[in-house]
Amino acid sequence: MSNFNVSQLAKLQADFQAYLLSNEENSSFIKAVIDDDKVGAKKRLNIYHEAYRLRIIEALSTVYPQLKALLGDVLFNRVAREYITAYPSTYRNLRWYGDKMREHLIATLAQHPIAAEMADFEWTLSLAFDAEDVPELGLEDLATIPPENWDALCFKFQPALKIVRTYWNTISVWQSLEVNETPAKPAIENKYQSWLIWRKNFNSQFRLISEMEAIALNMAIMGATFGEICVNLELKMGETQAVTTAARYLSGWLEEGLISKVILIKLVG
Amino acid sequence: MRNNLPLLGFGLGLRAEHYNEILNSKPNVDWFEVLSENYMIPGGLPLNFLDRIRADYPVAMHGVSLSIGSTAPLDQTYLSDLKKLADRVQPAWISDHLCWTGVHGQNIHDLLPLPYTEETAKHVVERVKVIQDYLGRQILLENVSSYASYVNSYMSEWEFISLICEQTDCLLLLDINNIYVSSYNHNFDAKGFIDGIPPHRVQQIHLAGHQNNGDYIIDTHDAPIINSVWDLYGYSVSKLGNVTTMIERDDNIPELEVLVQELQIARNLSANTLKAAA
Repeated sequence: MSNFNVSQLAKLQADFQAYLLSNEENSSFIKAVIDDDKVGAKKRLNIYHEAYRLRIIEALSTVYPQLKALLGDVLFNRVAREYITAYPSTYRNLRWYGDKMREHLIATLAQHPIAAEMADFEWTLSLAFDAEDVPELGLEDLATIPPENWDALCFKFQPALKIVRTYWNTISVWQSLEVNETPAKPAIENKYQSWLIWRKNFNSQFRLISEMEAIALNMAIMGATFGEICVNLELKMGETQAVTTAARYLSGWLEEGLISKVILIKLVG
Repeated sequence: MRNNLPLLGFGLGLRAEHYNEILNSKPNVDWFEVLSENYMIPGGLPLNFLDRIRADYPVAMHGVSLSIGSTAPLDQTYLSDLKKLADRVQPAWISDHLCWTGVHGQNIHDLLPLPYTEETAKHVVERVKVIQDYLGRQILLENVSSYASYVNSYMSEWEFISLICEQTDCLLLLDINNIYVSSYNHNFDAKGFIDGIPPHRVQQIHLAGHQNNGDYIIDTHDAPIINSVWDLYGYSVSKLGNVTTMIERDDNIPELEVLVQELQIARNLSANTLKAAA
């Protein structure tokens, strides 16, 4: 029997992990592993070394399918392997691994800016897919609220909701890749576009959102009342048109299932 | 009687590819094993399917990230999420692997082997006790497939497992394919493994396919179960009696019907073995 204790176990695990995380093929950790004529210690350790990378590459392929299609297998593999080195997993659940891909691509693939935008879009879609379940209000839920109270209404939104901004034709390229069609060449747009992402009927959804609606929605998310949203719109248009526009936005949000709760706040004064 | 846990019969791993068919066709599967981490998420479709399938079938939860053998502190967030899922699913039992998955706040997402020593066993024992207390139930630990062994190990895997069972009152999820894979990779007698573990601790059996690379085997769960593993399953049933059994398929996933047919092989083999022994 040896006097193998817990601190030696800790060292063995630290050394094994360091070997797995490192891209160096040679490691003194090999001495901790039984060598034999059948497979050999080096090859045995290499099974784990490669399995670690392949498992994570597969997880990244699952969460970034169209990024992979955009880059092609060879480049995607290279990107994924670099990502593994730059961001060793700190997650218990592999589901959450890959959240820094946008930043990673901005830093490492600056010559393809569309890649970082696509990563951002796909990651947000995936977050919407398994975001928390909340109630979904419909137009009928607001029908009972008297019109004079509308100014004092504020809203809670589903946690899946996000707005993603693109400067390139990222979404059009994503849509082509999604249906296995040849995408347009990556091109920068004249002006950035904002995309609303949410979940409806258990599936992630997205649509283009105008700058004015995005501002109104962001205000509402931050807790602004319907009245405050109208006042803000009045900076751009007449009072009647502002109310009509705000009401149109609100009914759209309700139809899309974005709103989980309506709160009537007491107005002071 | 092993303990007060139920005998669930013959099950399959629940996979997203089969969600709709399971709900629509109610296949001849006695129960489903779910990968805990796949449902340790805030909400959405996977949890909705799980709730609906749970309404029709018994479910056991099987995790890959408990890291019971790690020298890193137990992850309280993970444990609390696991318990929350168990409260929702009300599983027949909760299992994970006798291995470690990372240290220093990092995760390798692999089932890494432990050195088989008394000191390692003692470390695992302390952690199993804490987890069983926290979850308020016995857990099942599964033997893993391994590709390397340590110069520090001075006992067999089955001696190591027996020691942990004895001192924690935990149960075993015996993976027959993993026994076969590890026996092939490390040149030991697979039947000796089965003879060496405490039979009354075995609550569940796993069966799966693998990839044979000639000098070693990788536990891939992407192919049908091979005959040698079926033989070893028959041997296990002859030694252990009627044990809850399931087939794991994680990759190259076929139609549900193909797995239901493969499960029938397990049913027949188990029934015939028990009949022959009676």
